Amino acid sequence: MRMNLYLAVLVVALLLAASMPLIAHHAFGSEFDPNRPVLLKGKVVKVEWVNPHTWIHVEVTNPDGSREVWMIEGGSPNSLLRRGVTKDSLPVGTEIVVDGYQTRDHTLKRANGRNVTYPDGRKLNLGSSGPGAPPEK
Amino acid sequence: MQDSSNFKMFSPASCRIKGVLMRNRFVVLIAALAVFLLPPVTAAQAPPRLPDGHPNLQGTYDLATLTPLERPAGAKAILTAEEAGKLENEVAARKELGDRPISGNRTAPPKGGDGSTGAAGGVGGYNTFWLDPGSSYTIVNGERRTSIVIDPPDGRVPPMTPEARQRALSRLWRPTSDTTQSNDPGLEPPGSYDNPEQRPLGERCLLGFGSTSGPPALPDYFYNNLHQIVQTKDYVMILTEMVHDARVIRMNSQHLPKTIRKWMGDSVGHWEGDTLVVDTTNFTDKTRFRGASEDMHVVERFTRVGPKALLYRFTIEDPATWARPWTGEYTWPATDEHIYEYACHESNYALENILRGARRREADEAAEKARQ
Repeated sequence: MRMNLYLAVLVVALLLAASMPLIAHHAFGSEFDPNRPVLLKGKVVKVEWVNPHTWIHVEVTNPDGSREVWMIEGGSPNSLLRRGVTKDSLPVGTEIVVDGYQTRDHTLKRANGRNVTYPDGRKLNLGSSGPGAPPEK
Repeated sequence: MQDSSNFKMFSPASCRIKGVLMRNRFVVLIAALAVFLLPPVTAAQAPPRLPDGHPNLQGTYDLATLTPLERPAGAKAILTAEEAGKLENEVAARKELGDRPISGNRTAPPKGGDGSTGAAGGVGGYNTFWLDPGSSYTIVNGERRTSIVIDPPDGRVPPMTPEARQRALSRLWRPTSDTTQSNDPGLEPPGSYDNPEQRPLGERCLLGFGSTSGPPALPDYFYNNLHQIVQTKDYVMILTEMVHDARVIRMNSQHLPKTIRKWMGDSVGHWEGDTLVVDTTNFTDKTRFRGASEDMHVVERFTRVGPKALLYRFTIEDPATWARPWTGEYTWPATDEHIYEYACHESNYALENILRGARRREADEAAEKARQ
């Protein structure tokens, strides 16, 4: 019985791991370049809470002092809304940190948001009214 | 019954006065009738009905589940409550772990890719915070199932016929909404990215990917699993949250001529007792559910199994693809959650990025050739 359960766990885990990327909206691999990793720190200037993917616009300052706006691809907003993430979770001016990969077309300042966090590492606020507010739960 | 004094007799307080009741035969008769008539209205097995007498299937349902379409190799068909609970707790723990804060001072991910495979193609997607997958196994007849497929009894989709496999191979370069082909890691052969029409229907925001719209309507193991049923005497409409597909089922109607084909097929419905039976044919070769031919025939059965749940069962028949029909079923729990707008086209930057990526790759390859 214990063996069976262990097997079931393993198999289900494997299955989930194998099936999840297959069911994503599109192939991230054909959109983003594995050879162009990025780490972006800056302020939110706009968020498009749209399907199929959220796009977070963030202004970053380069080492030479110049500024550019990057667009970050996040997940579908429907489920976030149901979880309590609102427009107030990422208001304009919020400092965020993003790690991801740039689009294969390097003329575009766009990247996938593997992780989108506040500077303290929290992923996003649920049901809060400001960028600094702690999660309710 | 117009005599208001009789109604008074039915108030809880006066019902306790047995003597009063016994003195009035009429009241006893009505009381007996009430006992006879009331239980069917309140019993769980009697569904609420619409004015046309058919069960009311309307509502919003959350199809998210941990139960996969096919039973994993080596797994048993039914989990005990304890086994399911343990697995569900593990999934919840993984989700909680994924949602936890990470270092704000982290570095960029590794050059050359983060090791993710499949559609994630070395760049990953986004963390679990953005996902809303199922959290429990589907329960049918009190059984916690490890597969949606119930026939064949091994819980697996029957093997494809050699003919179907050949057909699938010859179509590899032609993207479809089929899950196996709609998400490649950027490795599709030349031509696949030549224009938007070459891209899969899901990627183009035209049809829910992974057969979320159906038929058969299957869960997505990422997010956006709500479905809404709207029902009238003559039509039933099923709205799929993912990509906002609406399937309109004509009740007691004939199928359209075979020359008229639709991405979600042509669906007609009828009632068999309290079960809504929907028959769908006339698919196109664009959808190709799991490599099926456009002559696939799907029969779906919707039955209310409680005030807050439907049982959804489907049978797939397509001799050109599978040597035998196969059947799946799972429970659709009702939800109070809202379906939000899914205006997929408006900001589908991803499609633009994918096509631009392909142009970039072509330019790089041309430059490489010129250098040699």
